[in-house]
Amino acid sequence: MNSPEPYDDLEAELLALGDLLDVPSPPPADVAAAVRARLESTPGSTPGSTPESTSEDGTREPAEDDEGPDPEHGPFTGTVGPRPGSVGPRPGTPGRRDDSRRPPARRGRRARWKIVAAVVIVVIAVTAATPQGRAAVAHILRLAGIEIQLGATPPEPVTTTAPLPGERTISGQEPPRGVTFQIMRPAELGAPQRTTVADGNRIVSMFWPGGIRFDQFQEMDAFFFKKLAPPMPEYTRVGPYMAWWLSGEHPLGYIKRQDGTEVPLRQAAATLIWQQGSVSYRLEGVKTREEAVRIAGSLR
Amino acid sequence: MNDDEAVARALDGDLSAYETLVARYSVLAHRTAALLGAGDEAEDVVQEAFVKAFRHLASFRRDAPFRPWLLRIVANETHNLTRSRGRRSELTVRLGATVELTAPDDPEGAAVAADRRARLLAAVRGLPERERQAVVCRYFLQLTEAETAQVLDWPVGTVKSSTHRGLARLREEVGNELA
Repeated sequence: MNSPEPYDDLEAELLALGDLLDVPSPPPADVAAAVRARLESTPGSTPGSTPESTSEDGTREPAEDDEGPDPEHGPFTGTVGPRPGSVGPRPGTPGRRDDSRRPPARRGRRARWKIVAAVVIVVIAVTAATPQGRAAVAHILRLAGIEIQLGATPPEPVTTTAPLPGERTISGQEPPRGVTFQIMRPAELGAPQRTTVADGNRIVSMFWPGGIRFDQFQEMDAFFFKKLAPPMPEYTRVGPYMAWWLSGEHPLGYIKRQDGTEVPLRQAAATLIWQQGSVSYRLEGVKTREEAVRIAGSLR
Repeated sequence: MNDDEAVARALDGDLSAYETLVARYSVLAHRTAALLGAGDEAEDVVQEAFVKAFRHLASFRRDAPFRPWLLRIVANETHNLTRSRGRRSELTVRLGATVELTAPDDPEGAAVAADRRARLLAAVRGLPERERQAVVCRYFLQLTEAETAQVLDWPVGTVKSSTHRGLARLREEVGNELA
């Protein structure tokens, strides 16, 4: 059962390959700060400096400006990277982060972003160098926005139950405000008994009778961890998407975005996890893999 | 704050709101630039793209999604870079350090799977440029056909046909011996 099912579809294989490509990128907060520094150091760079900033008619034509061609029309002609000929009143290195301009408080955000950046690395090996306290963890896998800590021996079960941070119930009719991704629902299960949002609208959860629970969140924004011992997660597919079936009960927790602290949540039932685009899904409490995959295939 | 609110505030000159957008799409933008051929210069490309996107934010149609609009600019910047180098763009990414789910008790199976992936990646690298770009957008970046059309500035029909030809060529190259 530990062998993945053979790929019978080149497209699924390409999707899987894409997830394994190692594309490093700097911490997003650093990129944001560098972009801001460049915008602040160049005059006339506010989007409001063009008359179209107030247009309501959907026009795509920007005003004449000297900042380069319209991204909507044809390729740019400017060169890439720092442009010596176009620096603003502040001499120096446009495009590079200028620490003297940044308040010290901003640095505190870096740790948080490091966690986020780490999510793009799909699978990480933590081998011999594991510190004593975590010696039981043989591997950490990141699958569909969920960190899976694989140990050699069964993990201690979680005997308590805690809600997600900031979890609150919303009415069925009310579309959750401030959720940045499109909310999906497994049509197969009908209307949920209850819907919640948690952690600053980053996680949407739906509940059905019988302990069935469906969570959705954007991978870059949040993630859960699960502690597992063998058997390993079983590879399967939901349509063209890679999915994993965790057949047994397992401790489930949440990783705090602020500092990476692990917060235990509860002992989770069997769960199917998968990812479509940038949104991750977990379906918990369905008895068999086949049934879970069938329900997962009914997302609308 | 969702994309639309962030765009609205950025249009009012709120740079913090724009920072939120940059942070939100930074990883995806780097991935797009790198996979479309920017290589080591992805960071410069992405930064330039975000600066340009801000300056042209007024031309962004508020009823359209921000993501493909931004990625179009990233793709454009990448295109300029590769053109300025005077050669075709290359897919220079590598496979990350991986642990196979099969590894602990099936090293042979893991090795075979790793070999297959390496050959598939090499085959994608060797595709004609348009087919490669279509395959990268559709599968490595998981964009829809419509998004791919917008990002690459191609008609949807071209996206479909390039993807189709690319897949056919990949099937020929790596075969289905393990499938």
